[in-house]
Amino acid sequence: MIKTDKILHLKSCRGRKVRVVREHYVRERVPCFSSLCQAGCPNDGKVLPEDLTHYVVPDAEVVLNFLEVLEVRELQGVVFTRTACQALHSKGRRYYNRLRNLLKDPRHDCVLFANEFQTYSYCPREKGESQEAWQTRCVYAAAVWYYNHLAGVMNIVMITEDKNAVTQFSSLNSGVFVISLEDYLQDFWPDLKAAQDLYSSISQALQEKEAEDSQREFPEHLPAEVLEAGIKSGRYIQGSLKVSKHRAQNEAFINNDSLFSKNTGVLVFGSKSRNRAIHGDLVAVELLPKSEWKGKVTALTEGQVDEKMGEDSKDKPMPTGRVVGILQRNWRDYVVTFPSRDKSQSQSRNSQRILAIPWDRRIPKIRISTQQADVLQDHRVVVRIDSWESTSLYPNGHSVRVLGRAGELETEVQTILTENCIHVSPFSEAQLREMPVNSTEKLWTVDPAQVEKRRDLRESHLVFSIDPQGCEDVDDTLSVRSLADGKLLELGVHIADVTHFVSEGSLTDLEARTRATTYYLADRRYDMLPAVLSSDLCSLLGGADRYAMSVLWELDAQTLAVTKVWFGRTLIRSSYQLHYELAQALLNGEEAEVPELARLDSEERGIRLTELIKALETLTHVARHLRAQRDQGGALELEGVEVRAQLDEERNITALVPRQPLEVHETVAECMIYANHWVARKIQEAFPYQALLRRHPPPRQELFSPLVDTAKAAGFTIDTRNNKALADSLDRAVDPQDGLVNRLLRMMATQAMSQALYFSTGSHPEDQFYHYGLALDRYTHFTSPIRRYADIVVHRLLTAALAVEEGAELVKPQSGNKELEELAGHINSRNKAALLAQKSSVGVFQCLFFKERDPQKDPCCVADAIIYSIRDNGVLVFVPKYGVKGPVYMTNRDGQVVAVGSDGSCEWQSGSVRRYSDYISTTSCCGSASFRLFDHITIRISVTTINCHADTLNLQIISNKPHCSAAPQQSFSQNRNQMVQEVVRLAEEAQEKAALKPKLSKEEREFRQSRSPNLYSLLEEVRELALMDLEAVSQICATTA
Amino acid sequence: MAGLELLSDQGYRLDGRKAAELRKVQARMGVFAQADGSAYLEQGNTKALAVVYGPHEMRGSRSRALHDRAVINCQYSMATFSTAERKRRPHGDRKSTEMSLHLKQTFEAAVMTQLFPRSQIDIYVKILQSDGGNYSVCVNAATLAVINAGIPMRDYVCACTVGFVDETPLADLCYAEESGGVSSLALALLPRGGQIALLQMDARLHQDHLESLIEAAMTACKGVSKVLDEVVRQHLQEASVLTRE
Repeated sequence: MIKTDKILHLKSCRGRKVRVVREHYVRERVPCFSSLCQAGCPNDGKVLPEDLTHYVVPDAEVVLNFLEVLEVRELQGVVFTRTACQALHSKGRRYYNRLRNLLKDPRHDCVLFANEFQTYSYCPREKGESQEAWQTRCVYAAAVWYYNHLAGVMNIVMITEDKNAVTQFSSLNSGVFVISLEDYLQDFWPDLKAAQDLYSSISQALQEKEAEDSQREFPEHLPAEVLEAGIKSGRYIQGSLKVSKHRAQNEAFINNDSLFSKNTGVLVFGSKSRNRAIHGDLVAVELLPKSEWKGKVTALTEGQVDEKMGEDSKDKPMPTGRVVGILQRNWRDYVVTFPSRDKSQSQSRNSQRILAIPWDRRIPKIRISTQQADVLQDHRVVVRIDSWESTSLYPNGHSVRVLGRAGELETEVQTILTENCIHVSPFSEAQLREMPVNSTEKLWTVDPAQVEKRRDLRESHLVFSIDPQGCEDVDDTLSVRSLADGKLLELGVHIADVTHFVSEGSLTDLEARTRATTYYLADRRYDMLPAVLSSDLCSLLGGADRYAMSVLWELDAQTLAVTKVWFGRTLIRSSYQLHYELAQALLNGEEAEVPELARLDSEERGIRLTELIKALETLTHVARHLRAQRDQGGALELEGVEVRAQLDEERNITALVPRQPLEVHETVAECMIYANHWVARKIQEAFPYQALLRRHPPPRQELFSPLVDTAKAAGFTIDTRNNKALADSLDRAVDPQDGLVNRLLRMMATQAMSQALYFSTGSHPEDQFYHYGLALDRYTHFTSPIRRYADIVVHRLLTAALAVEEGAELVKPQSGNKELEELAGHINSRNKAALLAQKSSVGVFQCLFFKERDPQKDPCCVADAIIYSIRDNGVLVFVPKYGVKGPVYMTNRDGQVVAVGSDGSCEWQSGSVRRYSDYISTTSCCGSASFRLFDHITIRISVTTINCHADTLNLQIISNKPHCSAAPQQSFSQNRNQMVQEVVRLAEEAQEKAALKPKLSKEEREFRQSRSPNLYSLLEEVRELALMDLEAVSQICATTA
Repeated sequence: MAGLELLSDQGYRLDGRKAAELRKVQARMGVFAQADGSAYLEQGNTKALAVVYGPHEMRGSRSRALHDRAVINCQYSMATFSTAERKRRPHGDRKSTEMSLHLKQTFEAAVMTQLFPRSQIDIYVKILQSDGGNYSVCVNAATLAVINAGIPMRDYVCACTVGFVDETPLADLCYAEESGGVSSLALALLPRGGQIALLQMDARLHQDHLESLIEAAMTACKGVSKVLDEVVRQHLQEASVLTRE
């Protein structure tokens, strides 16, 4: 190690220039991270492979501006230098973290070389040398060092944007080539179209930026030090900006936990005071004087159309502020739609800048300069924002990837995935190579060494699984038996041992960690683990030997108190793979066909069947007891698709699928909750500071007020003091005439709840561990490792805890508190994204379903709805048939209101609307009508197509009477399934049609016919019309008119 | 907002050292002929001069004298040109008084004061250039000066600062690291017996990490002691060569 001095000129806080001397140590042995290294560098971690034609060393400027191009996975052998890293770091933490993630990711072939600490590649900055020139020189020196270090075996390509550098350095060394990035991409990767497009789009954006005019549109942001000081002194408020979904133009809020815990936050009104902050950014706001405070608007608005309503109908003013600076940008990839040509032409005839409209309404329009504007019309494109200067009304961005034409099913699904930051590529070769093989030629068998280590339950226990029908990934099984002459009961929960196959740090593990969960969309799913695990080796299929993690309780047969718990790895063979309906039928004593027993003779079948039924009955008995225990603690039963799926242990989140509330569901769920609870206790005791648990914070009381008010209107009182009181009062709030009322109230209660979250025990005080919904003091997720990464972590923790118990040298838990908390945050955000994606994919399907239908004619489009909330100009309704919630307007844009005729039918007439606490009334020339909470009305569903955003469902009232359809009532979820199938079918048909089209055009070309309708076809149509009967003709006329 | 990255993913610190590596230490003993003992020590870019007078009779008020041991009198000061911006530093400001006190405590633990009752030992330390770890550099320089003065000590006193970043202790912080928001701990050690002469820390740190931090500090101190030992031996060799002639 040799010490040198580095002299820097820094600006002091008072603006004076200061000469600072810093030490700089250089050494000879700096790892090169190449597998070609002959000098024996201590290369641990990622190394560059040797089978490449060259290594590429990007210059600092290239890394600064074109990091995205370098992120393309096909580019191999990239050597980042520390010089470039430092340059990126000074640009911003966000960019630097991106590079760090890139370097950590084993799928990217790139390494970091600490060139500044290597004796021979370090070059001190010379006097008068500009920073850029020095950086380029450093990078070049690093490239030369690499070439020499690898003994000239590998060619090195240095890419730079500096033309002088290219001419200066290119002929100095034979093995080191210096070229520009553009040439590099063209010469070395001519097939990599994506990278080239990306390059051109970024460089265009950069050029545009330089040519920017300098008219100020927004005030400048304050410098970071001022902001920090201001936040500390309380002058500014720090928080993340949340733009209102419905009034994206004007309203945004700052959420800040510490300051405004009672209030909803700080309002930022208008785009001027928002000052270039974008939804999700961490900003600092300054409060305006009280006289300028504004209120939140509660009226329903139709999309972004009528903004004028905001002015007059505001209620109580709330703290209002303006953004003075941005602490951290949280930009992600956005999906935008390029407008059609007629609109775009008027904006920008001579420049190629296009204002593209983001799919998410909360994001402002993004200016993109591209030459492909014509091609991309009406396409959805993924873009990234580059910058937002104070001189510009809109942020600048560049396009990254084209998703497809708007309105197509595949495009819409991809849009949803991108908007929720879900990246699911198929599993790579390398990941699949890690997987064990199980094929017909090479059957996977149990390893004898594992049999030694594990407790063998194959013979001793009757193990069975209960799942929805057709489930592939069975990750939990149950067993129950009596011990000691019936004095004790042994209850067992056996979970698939995924961690046996997925070792920590393996590629599969990393992939699973990034995915964090299996994503279920309405028509497809993206698995967290490769199929060979999720539906085969880890799936506890009937009759197959499988590894498991088990929890076995010994219970007193009478009191059902736990006397002993055993955790550990086991080997099981599931005897029955039941489904819920079958299990319930067996319990009810009905005749049921168990497929596993079909081949046995009747006598033995009888014995087996009684054995099984006995087990099921015992299980139900135990579960009832457990449930009762939790009910005393105040466990909630909530309604609502989302939360339901998350709270209980239902597997295939075909939670879209109806859950006929069978008791078996409860039984299985109860056992799983019990297992989770005990595992949580175990790992928390073993690792008090780094166990992954799940907590459900108690909801904020003020969020219950809509629920309480609504219930009061229906004549019920809801007590929200604690979960027990809430559960009890919800149970009481049942309207004997209308079962939906209770369901709606439970749904509203669910909405008031906060989300349950994963966390690391080290970062929260113990009194916050409580799970409000389940009424348990500690809870975690243990039972679905196939589809949740959190469970995998918990499995590992449990294994470590058991190892500690067995007296192994204090096993270090895999990760410290900080890492675990980070991981928990990641899993939480992924879970949220998965939920959102699932919800919006259902939305897409609903829209596509109704789009195909004519709202005036099709009986499907008319449905019964129930009012659950009153707003200034309309009501919110729930449509039980389709599970849709939405607004129904009482006024339209011309100021007309809904008038009710004598037969209950509704039409638009001029009049006025008044809102009361529990009803809304309209007055028009033909009398007044009022709509109360929990009234049933009939609505018509149609689709509003907006090209740039997601389509929305439009509900229109057609009668104030309940809708009685002739068709028997189906449960909404079945309808949903139908809907999904229908839409998928349509999409496929459309694809087939598209496939047919080119054929046609070929014929046309052959006969040199124009594609526009010619006279012949027109005459042909007239002839056909003449052949039809009169009735049909009149119908056609009606539809075309 | 981008703060400095004190420890990179590959384990390099800002100046290219690894986490446990010390800065380069250079020292000379006996730089002043007039004093009883003196030493000059550079640790990285922090440079200190230490001068020792005594043991001698009590000067000034005799009432301060102790009947069973010597009084140690320390004075710490920083040169006006020691930092990037020139700054007048009057004597007796709070920072230097505190530092003087710390030095005094450290050396009271190390010097065998009971051998010199009713006398006084003066230790003057001046920082010529400051680049982090002032206290520890002062202690190391003063140790050499005390040895140079021939005052018996139990052991070398070696000091080192350590910081804690990303769950890793960093040895021997430089100024950029100290000011970068690291919780730093200064430790003075009598390396042979492993006794701690002084331990000082003002920042917040989780209790669980304290042990590993002290462990790292002790290793660093032992590293320093090796260097000091070498310096002393070399000095002795030179001195003996000179006297032989």
